Amino acid sequence: MPVDILIQIAIGGILIGGLYALFAFGLSLIYGVARILNFAHGTLLAIAGVLGSILYGLLGANPLALIGIIALLAVVFFGFGWAFHDTLLAPLKRRSHFEASVGTVLTTVGALIVIGDVAAALAGPRPRNIPIRSDVLEFGDILIPVSQAWMLAAIALLTVVLHLVLTRSWYGRAVRAVTQDHVGAALCGVRARVIHGITFGLGASLAAVAGVLYATVYPIDPYAGFNLTVKAFTIIVLGGVGNLLGALAAGLFLGVAEAFTAFFWAAEWASALSIFLLLAILVAFPQGFGAARRT
Amino acid sequence: MTQHEATMPRVSPPARPRAFGGFGTIVGAAAAGVLALGVPQLGVPYVTSLAFTFLVFFVLAQSWDWIGGLAGYVNLGHFAYYGIGAYAFSIALVSGVPTPVCFLIAAAAVAMIAALLSFPLFRLTGDYFAFATLAVLPLAELLAFNLVPLTGGADGIVLPPRYVLVPAFYTAVGLAVVTFALSVLLARSRFGYALKSIRNDEQAAEVVGIRIFPAKRAVMVLSGAFAALAGAVHAWQLSYIDPPTVFGLNVALVPVAMALFGGSGLLWGPLVGVVLLFSVQQYLLVNMTMLHATVYGLIILLIGRFMPGGLLRASVARATPLLRGLTREVHHEIAPAPAAAGREKRLPMPVRKPDPDKVLLSLKGITKAFGGNVAVNAVTLDVREGEVIGLVGANGSGKTTLFNCISKVYEPTGTLLFDGTDMKGLRRDQVAGIGVGRTFQNPRPFGDLTVAENIAVAATFRADRPSMTAALQEAQSYAAFVGLEERFTQRADALSLQEKKSLELARALALHPKLLLVDEVASGLTPAEVKRFVAHIREIREVYGVTVIWVEHIFSALAQIVDRLVVLEQGQVIADAPLAEAVRDERVLAAYLGSAATKEGH
Repeated sequence: MPVDILIQIAIGGILIGGLYALFAFGLSLIYGVARILNFAHGTLLAIAGVLGSILYGLLGANPLALIGIIALLAVVFFGFGWAFHDTLLAPLKRRSHFEASVGTVLTTVGALIVIGDVAAALAGPRPRNIPIRSDVLEFGDILIPVSQAWMLAAIALLTVVLHLVLTRSWYGRAVRAVTQDHVGAALCGVRARVIHGITFGLGASLAAVAGVLYATVYPIDPYAGFNLTVKAFTIIVLGGVGNLLGALAAGLFLGVAEAFTAFFWAAEWASALSIFLLLAILVAFPQGFGAARRT
Repeated sequence: MTQHEATMPRVSPPARPRAFGGFGTIVGAAAAGVLALGVPQLGVPYVTSLAFTFLVFFVLAQSWDWIGGLAGYVNLGHFAYYGIGAYAFSIALVSGVPTPVCFLIAAAAVAMIAALLSFPLFRLTGDYFAFATLAVLPLAELLAFNLVPLTGGADGIVLPPRYVLVPAFYTAVGLAVVTFALSVLLARSRFGYALKSIRNDEQAAEVVGIRIFPAKRAVMVLSGAFAALAGAVHAWQLSYIDPPTVFGLNVALVPVAMALFGGSGLLWGPLVGVVLLFSVQQYLLVNMTMLHATVYGLIILLIGRFMPGGLLRASVARATPLLRGLTREVHHEIAPAPAAAGREKRLPMPVRKPDPDKVLLSLKGITKAFGGNVAVNAVTLDVREGEVIGLVGANGSGKTTLFNCISKVYEPTGTLLFDGTDMKGLRRDQVAGIGVGRTFQNPRPFGDLTVAENIAVAATFRADRPSMTAALQEAQSYAAFVGLEERFTQRADALSLQEKKSLELARALALHPKLLLVDEVASGLTPAEVKRFVAHIREIREVYGVTVIWVEHIFSALAQIVDRLVVLEQGQVIADAPLAEAVRDERVLAAYLGSAATKEGH
């Protein structure tokens, strides 16, 4: 087995793994802060990919327009996420523990089905992608498309920015205050509902960015969402809730592992990997690897 | 138990008839089943197949609710069992196995898979559990697609072409009746109460002697096997299955939505939910050409947003004459005994003769650290039979942590010997089983069970395993003992804080403990109530020979009864002496009673 083939596969894995991580940040952030497991998270990514592809076509397949599309979708999804939380999820907090938990699950699962189906009805169920022509960097026999190199750089940059926002900004401090004790935070003038709403919006935004970038690499259809949510969930169980670096490492690991599974075994088993991995972690690390918490 | 039966109050007939939820309900369900057998005689295959589909959904929703409603775990992957059952049945049928055996194979295969899956899945609770179970669906679908030699992959499996609608319908009727009857029986059984306790508070359930994991695994297996039978009979009737039909996410959550829409955990909830949502589904199928999934998703979303407790828990249902009878929660009830008999002096507890020379509990170097904080530090202590020990110390000195170490809420380092048994590695339920009862500082009764059931659950899981009915009769004595006879049939979450603490004491006594760990039961009581409580502890010790360790800040209460005072400071024992000696110890005065006590010359 030539080494450069292995490296080539690993690079592909790292790229997709970075996207997984970016997308898992959103799920992790929402769960860590608002204690809501958003089952529709992957569906947001999927429809962002589909929307991105449609807009890209409308704007004449101009690679520069992609940046505008990403910015636009990030803003729109931010608003959508905030509104979704505020109208549908926040009111459930007033109910008893079991009802709130069941209600949240049903609401986000319902949203997963509705969003996917409406998108499929409007845009068609077929997979779409964003075809970008770009130069290829050559290192010996290893090829890296320039667009994908840029993408990796963008993911790295976003991770750093997100880390800084969470550790250095007012929002980051408010998030930590609300996470630890929302009553105490409220007494200091931090409203949990607003912070949760912003966090939900931010999570949706990250899913949108990841969705558009994903569509530049792989075709995506409106129903693809749930399998991606499973991947993101595996990543946050592996890396720890609210742990950005952990999620990044876990995302890269999953991406590379899938790439090798597809190469050495069969592509159709690659997507089962995350579920097997998830169940295996649960058996091997009963207390959670990182932070699969018992409630 | 014959000894107490003589002293037990006579049980009068129930005060109000139990309209729904009793054994009569099973007879009613069987009768409805017999009537339903007439449906194929109408000679309209459409009606028969409609009724058939309805029954399949009912079996799925009701069996889902055994985990969801009784045990409080939201299993979103229930439909995977249906799908695997359908596949197992079809594969067996195609290979020429006789049909009845195919049903058995489907149920057995899924029971095994459910038992295996319960190991990773029940490591989780709450949303995590819901999520991981939902992930089982795409996994099952992938396996069905990819294991082509077994499943035919995307082509699915075509069954031999025979007209089986009528026998399939009869099978479904039988299955539905059994499912319903089992639900009635489960709700009243000891196993059912183990699940209901788990639903409320797993740790409290363990502390009253319930072994929770096997109970959770058993209910997973049972509910999986019924879902598998539903899948098998459906595959038989459809005569063709492929992965999206039996694992598709869009249909998968329909039975869950049905059970929750009606009212999860209520006997009639799943049935009402299936009747209503099934009607909506049929209406939409006839009247809409597209967006079926959207409407479904929307219904699931709206149930989650506005009615997660279900229709039968909404005030609308209680106000509707037709539904009112169905909204009742099923509580195991016996009629309260006449007040005089309820105040029966003797508790139905074994009378032990303590041997004051025998060490009942021995702690050697017990240590428990949380990170860098050593909450309990090398505590060594011997407790002799029949002693009442007051455990005091400032807040944060490690008293409750020490209790948690003894009852195995935490596993400490060091040696714990109880009645000659090394407690190393014992589970919480085993600790309860060898005779350690405890109360929690913040009371943790099973909120949605009645006072009676709370006490009876502890009694029924004792080593002598009295029936739930016998346990409930016993419970009356304990309730009367702690002053809760008026509250006997009320839900525990309706009690005041003090009443909850009393309930915890009653629940711990129902375990027939040799050692009782009492954690701040008297704080917040009036002086008269404290006096009464001290009298209780005295009676528990003097009449029944129970050894007591009592954590309390109300020093005057302790002073009336304790033989020995053990004082903790920062996790260490700083004094272990008879009361009179301990209160003269300078360190104790400084650490616990404060310097003011020193000046007053206590």
